[in-house]
Amino acid sequence: MLKIDNLSVKVNGKNILKKINLKINNGEIHALLGPNASGKSSLVYTTMGFPDYNVTGGKIIFNGKDITDLQIEERVKLGMTSVFQHPPSIKGLKLSKLLEKISKKNIELKELNNLLEREINVGFSGGERKLSEIVQVISLDPSFVIFDELDAGLDLENLERLTSLIKNELDNKSILLITHRGRILRFLKPDIVHVMIDGKIVCSSKDWKRIWETIEVYGYEKCKECELRSNRS
Amino acid sequence: MKNVKNANYVQIDHEIRISEEKDVIILSSPEAYKRFRWSREYFKKKPEEGYFIWVKNSINHPLITCISISSKNISQNPINLVVIEKDVKAEIYSICNAVKKNLCGNHVGYSKVIAKENSRLEMRHFHRWGKEDTVNSNLEFFLKKGAELSHNYKCLEVPMKLKMENNTYLEESSSVNFVITILAKDSEVEMNDSIFLNGRESNGISRVRMIGDKKSRINAHSKIIANDAGTGHLDCMGLLLAEDSSINAIPELVNRNKDASLTHEASVGKISEEILNYLRSRGLTEDQAIDLIVSGFLGEEEPIAVEGSIVSSKLYM
Repeated sequence: MLKIDNLSVKVNGKNILKKINLKINNGEIHALLGPNASGKSSLVYTTMGFPDYNVTGGKIIFNGKDITDLQIEERVKLGMTSVFQHPPSIKGLKLSKLLEKISKKNIELKELNNLLEREINVGFSGGERKLSEIVQVISLDPSFVIFDELDAGLDLENLERLTSLIKNELDNKSILLITHRGRILRFLKPDIVHVMIDGKIVCSSKDWKRIWETIEVYGYEKCKECELRSNRS
Repeated sequence: MKNVKNANYVQIDHEIRISEEKDVIILSSPEAYKRFRWSREYFKKKPEEGYFIWVKNSINHPLITCISISSKNISQNPINLVVIEKDVKAEIYSICNAVKKNLCGNHVGYSKVIAKENSRLEMRHFHRWGKEDTVNSNLEFFLKKGAELSHNYKCLEVPMKLKMENNTYLEESSSVNFVITILAKDSEVEMNDSIFLNGRESNGISRVRMIGDKKSRINAHSKIIANDAGTGHLDCMGLLLAEDSSINAIPELVNRNKDASLTHEASVGKISEEILNYLRSRGLTEDQAIDLIVSGFLGEEEPIAVEGSIVSSKLYM
């Protein structure tokens, strides 16, 4: 599905991602944990092909195709998309209008009625923003979705509601969850969890519970020398 | 006149056709000037062409006027007068256009609208011109006590030169809500829009949306003058689509009453890269994303249903 091979990225001349390797197979859920400013969101934007993220080394392979130099929309056509942490507000553009343009799949949700005729993200609450994002990506019928800090700014009730929507609508899709809080892990139970610190993946493991417990107790610094570090099997 | 079948006043070049309407008097302006002595105080001068609409009772469907240029080198000078009686509700769609692109027409229109006490008028004003035309549009609105006006002007095909002057005078407890939408391409637009709050609890809102495309220049001066304790808000937004276009947005607030409250917001800029990239991450190409942003910025194109037929707000003919 997605293979990130030795990827290095610069933004404004600064090295942000350093030789990242990541492989996500069909139907797998991966979580990428890390403290603020560790480079997690940069990985999202680079994988999606945003122009300010300059790949200085390595490549991104999606379904066997090298997409490192592809435009954003070309990547989306191949089946990948992302839920962003801070999607922009778009004055004048109603959510219904955007969905009309992009939808490959219809979604019927009662909660959505309140959002459809509103301008995208203008005056949306945190939960409404996330719902709008999730509905947009589901409507694209993707095979791979990145969720950037989905749990940020959400109460438990909303998080549970949205993750259950994801489980229903994106069942068997490949997912990369980006988070630094870890609350979402309990709801989506990743197959593999990775820890990123200072632009590098320092730890990968199938035991997400143990990784998260370690982080909760010792913080992210502990991950640098943790014994699980080479324990990915 | 293909699609404007139900228009109440149609003027092609200088020829007119009028359809009668119950509870409304519709005449040519010269005829009204002759027949109603009282109308003379409202006409700026003796009119040679234009329409007169006097709405005496509320109507439940829109009145439509259409003034078109269809021949080469026509010069029109319509002087229009609209009077809405007390407590009456009315809706008017006013269309001015050139039916072809290269007619080199000249349209100098002057319209005066009198909305009497507690009346309510919703007016949609559509312009569509060819590149060789020059247009000068003057509008004056007089809102009596408690009157309400909603005025939506849209011109997405601007002539070579467009000059607009709107002046609105509000008495006590009257209110106006203006939306002006202009897309300029290879054009010069000069717009002056003033709202005078002359009575207490009067309320004026003006929203101006401008798009400057290829070699266009827009000067938009919007002003609210509070002479009494009213409230007013200006909202001017401009979007530049081309490097060789420019927009000067000049919002001005003049407050002459300590109990009045006036506010404004203004922004002019290009389409945000962040928004473009976001929409591309939804699978749209850059051009598709720009189209979507621009159409959102300009507002929805709502079809207008008139007696079972549809007149598109994008215009026709």
